[in-house]
Amino acid sequence: MTGAPVIAIRNLRVVRGATEVVRGVDLEVGRGEVIAVVGPSGSGKSTLLRALNYLTPFTEGEVTIAGHRLRPGLCERRDAALLRAVRRRVGMVFQSFHLFPHLTALENVATAPRHVLGLVAGEAERRARALLDRVGLATHADAHPHALSGGQQQRVAIARALAMEPAALLLDEPTSALDPGLVGEVLEVVADLAARGQTMVVVTHEMAFARRVADRVVVLAGGRVVESGPPDAVLDRPRAPETRALLGLDPG
Amino acid sequence: MRGLVAGVVAVLVAGGSAPARTPPPDALAAVRARGTLRWGGDMQGGEPYVFQDPRDGRLVGFEVELADALARRLGVRAAFVQADWHHLVPSLERGDFDVILNGLEVTAARRGRVAFTRPYYAFAETLVVRRDGPAFDSLAALAGRRVGTLGGSLAADVVAAAPGVRAVLYEGVEEPYGDLERGRIDAVVLDDVIAARYGLVRPALRLAALVGEGTYAVAVRPDAPALLGAVDAALGALVASGELRAILERWRLWNDRQTALAAVAAAPGDAPPARLGGVHVALFLRAAANTLVITALAMAIAAAGGLSLALVRRSGGRVARGAVTGYVELFRGTPVLLQLYVLYYGLAPVVALDAFTAAVLGLGLNYAAYEAELYRAGLEAVPAGQTEAALALGMSHGQALRRIVLPQALRTALPGVTNDFIALLKDSSLVSVITVVELTKQMTITAVDLRGWLVPGLLCAALYLALSYPLARLARRLERRLAPAAA
Repeated sequence: MTGAPVIAIRNLRVVRGATEVVRGVDLEVGRGEVIAVVGPSGSGKSTLLRALNYLTPFTEGEVTIAGHRLRPGLCERRDAALLRAVRRRVGMVFQSFHLFPHLTALENVATAPRHVLGLVAGEAERRARALLDRVGLATHADAHPHALSGGQQQRVAIARALAMEPAALLLDEPTSALDPGLVGEVLEVVADLAARGQTMVVVTHEMAFARRVADRVVVLAGGRVVESGPPDAVLDRPRAPETRALLGLDPG
Repeated sequence: MRGLVAGVVAVLVAGGSAPARTPPPDALAAVRARGTLRWGGDMQGGEPYVFQDPRDGRLVGFEVELADALARRLGVRAAFVQADWHHLVPSLERGDFDVILNGLEVTAARRGRVAFTRPYYAFAETLVVRRDGPAFDSLAALAGRRVGTLGGSLAADVVAAAPGVRAVLYEGVEEPYGDLERGRIDAVVLDDVIAARYGLVRPALRLAALVGEGTYAVAVRPDAPALLGAVDAALGALVASGELRAILERWRLWNDRQTALAAVAAAPGDAPPARLGGVHVALFLRAAANTLVITALAMAIAAAGGLSLALVRRSGGRVARGAVTGYVELFRGTPVLLQLYVLYYGLAPVVALDAFTAAVLGLGLNYAAYEAELYRAGLEAVPAGQTEAALALGMSHGQALRRIVLPQALRTALPGVTNDFIALLKDSSLVSVITVVELTKQMTITAVDLRGWLVPGLLCAALYLALSYPLARLARRLERRLAPAAA
């Protein structure tokens, strides 16, 4: 880890209704670091991730991300400038892609550079084509999302997030909605990003993938970090009973 | 099968043209057997013809008393049947009542369809203008000006016969004088009975000239000569006994013209029935263009207004959302006809819109309520993930709405919107009540000219189809082009 962390989370709590979904999480992500967040369903993984760009507001604590500080009680309208500044620098990839169905693959990728960053059309398109090429979809630039497979759609979604040249990329279970045969192509793209030094936080169920690309694995259970460390340590010599349960081992 | 069709055709032809072989039992026998003389009229014609007494709602008027007196002479009771004044003759032909007794002017055109008794009233067509306006003293002086009158009346024929005068056709007798006072039109031509009660009571108006004369008579079906004879004789007896004079005097309608009733000549403007010609077709085409322009402008208002309403409903404050809900329910829950009346006549003292503006605005505001609901459904159909994905890319809420959500919502709403466009094309016929001449109004005008509804009706229908079918095709193509081409 060099210099200031890209993401610093302090004592993050998220209460939704009567439930405390995230119960005090502290985490730092350095530049170029890849964090895999694992844990059982309902452990608060996705909520934690969505709190980082404030798509889900949090109740307590503080998030410093890409040089901006987020605090509880921000308002989409009043604090629009701050939230836009954060989201401009932090990319997000969703479990069910959320591609824009009325736009082609190329337009999906080019729209934010063009309209958020203000690039001229030609420049935005060049950038989009290069990214589609990087995720192996150069020949599908003019296809609409409905004409693409799930794996292809998710690769377009990754290209769309990368088009903003984000300081950090958040991936929320990027392969959970895919047929097993299509998981590999998406993981390859993410692994390639890791190799290029892209800072990433990936919520995932793919343990083998976590072991391969993550610098650190964070295990979340019941809204708390129960264990974290290098993949080998966490996945091969798990100490917390929640981690052992997650890996299908005896409680030890 | 073919035999059956031929038989039906034969019956239709026989019934439609030549008199049937066995003459129908005369209407007079039916009246006697029934014990009532059913007479048709329109209460909207108002005082002094046939109207409801404001104190107790009873039917009163000089024609009510005349009908009672005639029925008495025939040894039966009089029974009033309400009908739209413009459709009195077709209603008589259908057998809705036995006679028409409601300010029906004796014209050559009408003589072709109904049989008239001797006249019971002689009137003059009066030209009424504003006191403070130009000193018009004849119809000729009004070339290029707008002159209001009652659609389908003899007065309308008089106005139509004046070269260069632009006729503005009303459905009632109060509204033309109101519009004259407010400067929407330059003069009104109507019967003196009407002018005295509705026009000249307004201090701002004055009588400019008498521009024609005519008579009212009782009309019966031409195939009922016995009834015609009996009613005519009864009327003659009322004239001879002075009863008619007494009735007219009671209603302050007696004047010098009445003494010479029998000698009244046919009124000017009387013309033999016209044939459908190039002039009619040209008028129809112009009316069709009018319909199309009104529809397009109203739809533009409806589309923009509906979208604004839907967006306020989606993201406005509580008060704004409530106001939008109120607007939608008000405009969907009341007849568009009522809205047009309120907009054109009701608001006239506050803001005097011209008829065209009121028509476009009225239809546009009404349809905006429907479009708002369509857009709302479209907006709700766009998954929340779309907005999240747009925001996560750093778009503002406005950008997310404009670039991501709206294009998808409009696509969902499009079939409903184009459907409404076609419905609006047809609903635009309603604006004739505020004097706009569009396609349907042109049809009724021509029908009076030609003394028949079939040919103008078919021409009118053909023009509506010619407008709506390409619209439907265009809509389908638009939908196909915009469709997300469902996987």
